[in-house]
Amino acid sequence: MIELDGGIAQQLTDEITPSSSIQVRVGTSNASLIIASILQPLIQGFGMRGVYICASRGASEIIQTLEQIGIDSSGIQFIDTVSSGFIGGTETPYPNIRYVDSPIMLESIMLQTLYHLESNTETGNFVLLDSANALSIYNEERMLAEYLHTFVNTFRARDVLTAIVNVPDQTPPSVLANLDLYCSDLIDRGQVVIN
Amino acid sequence: MMPGTQYERDRCVTGIKGLDEILRGGIPYGSTVLVAGTCGSGKTTMCMEFLVKGAQEGEACAHFSATEPSVKLLENVRQFDFFDMRLVDQGLISVFDMDVLFSWLGMTKSTFDLTDIDAMVKAITDIVNTIGVTRLVIDSVTTLCYKIPSEQLIRDFLFKLGKSLSTLGCTSLLVSEITSAGAKSFWSSFGVEEAILDGIVVLGDVERMGHLLRFVQVVKMRGTSHSRAKYALELTPRGVMLTPMLKWGGAND
Repeated sequence: MIELDGGIAQQLTDEITPSSSIQVRVGTSNASLIIASILQPLIQGFGMRGVYICASRGASEIIQTLEQIGIDSSGIQFIDTVSSGFIGGTETPYPNIRYVDSPIMLESIMLQTLYHLESNTETGNFVLLDSANALSIYNEERMLAEYLHTFVNTFRARDVLTAIVNVPDQTPPSVLANLDLYCSDLIDRGQVVIN
Repeated sequence: MMPGTQYERDRCVTGIKGLDEILRGGIPYGSTVLVAGTCGSGKTTMCMEFLVKGAQEGEACAHFSATEPSVKLLENVRQFDFFDMRLVDQGLISVFDMDVLFSWLGMTKSTFDLTDIDAMVKAITDIVNTIGVTRLVIDSVTTLCYKIPSEQLIRDFLFKLGKSLSTLGCTSLLVSEITSAGAKSFWSSFGVEEAILDGIVVLGDVERMGHLLRFVQVVKMRGTSHSRAKYALELTPRGVMLTPMLKWGGAND
């Protein structure tokens, strides 16, 4: 049995509002656990639905990981920017995955997310971006900072909770600085790297 | 003039998500707007959504198809959730093949003269008047203009058409096919359309690292203030969706 980080559920319960924007700092080895520790209270505790933007790993792999942990992901719409239909990565049994051609199509990711959020008007919505550091592999630093600024403000204006995952030592400094500025909350489980 | 007393023209609310916000409420009623775009940029879908949104509000709408048979056009738009075939069956959206119209008018020549142009304008305005059309799309005006041998005649045609439709209170979108939508491009194929018409909406692609992102930009719209920025465009099953284009996203113009 995988034990989730109970401190995160407590922090979410105590601090967040429907329009909170949370910067989630993770390490390379604990990312899945931390993300699951966020999703579990949002879905099962607060009854929210949402969109999961996959830039680090393909959606199928993430769904399987969540299933192993015991989190029902059927209420989540996955937007997969990683898997490629060209090499067969899009043949999955999961109906709740949509594909965007590339992680550089940032506006398309935004519009796909808004499209799916419109489908759910009954419960609170969240958008989880996994992750800023993965997007930084493909996108120029200034553009990514601009995108995250737009991202946070667009969803905040719609009372949609956002969680932006990043591995700090793999994220450009200006993007990190901007996240500090835009985000209203911080969940810090980033690992300290000692060179 | 004080903002509170500023005169505002009545608007034709397009119903297209984002476009009405760009236009500060919609297209001024009775305007004739050029929708210029490269191939695959979403011109036909956007124009059809404009008609559907009007028909859903009970407006009589007309589509004049010059580039493809109406049957094929309807088959293509049926894939979208926003399109409802019942609107066609109920007569709220009337679809006309320009080729059929030309046959009715006996216009079988390869080029049109002034008499043909007058006959074409009269036929279109008669239909608009008879049905009480308030929203009209011609897709594409470029195809029609190819048959008109001089810029002067094209100018005459568009001026007469725009004036007649405007007089009837019909808000019209004239589709124009262009090969490039960059800053140094023309907004029309013949270089005269943009000067005559009330508005220009440009659709095109921005290339980013080998991927094409659709965009829309309102270049001109008489009778209203409007945003002149580029907006990324996505064709979703529910229709067009827009979001501001990232400023650092690069543009091919």
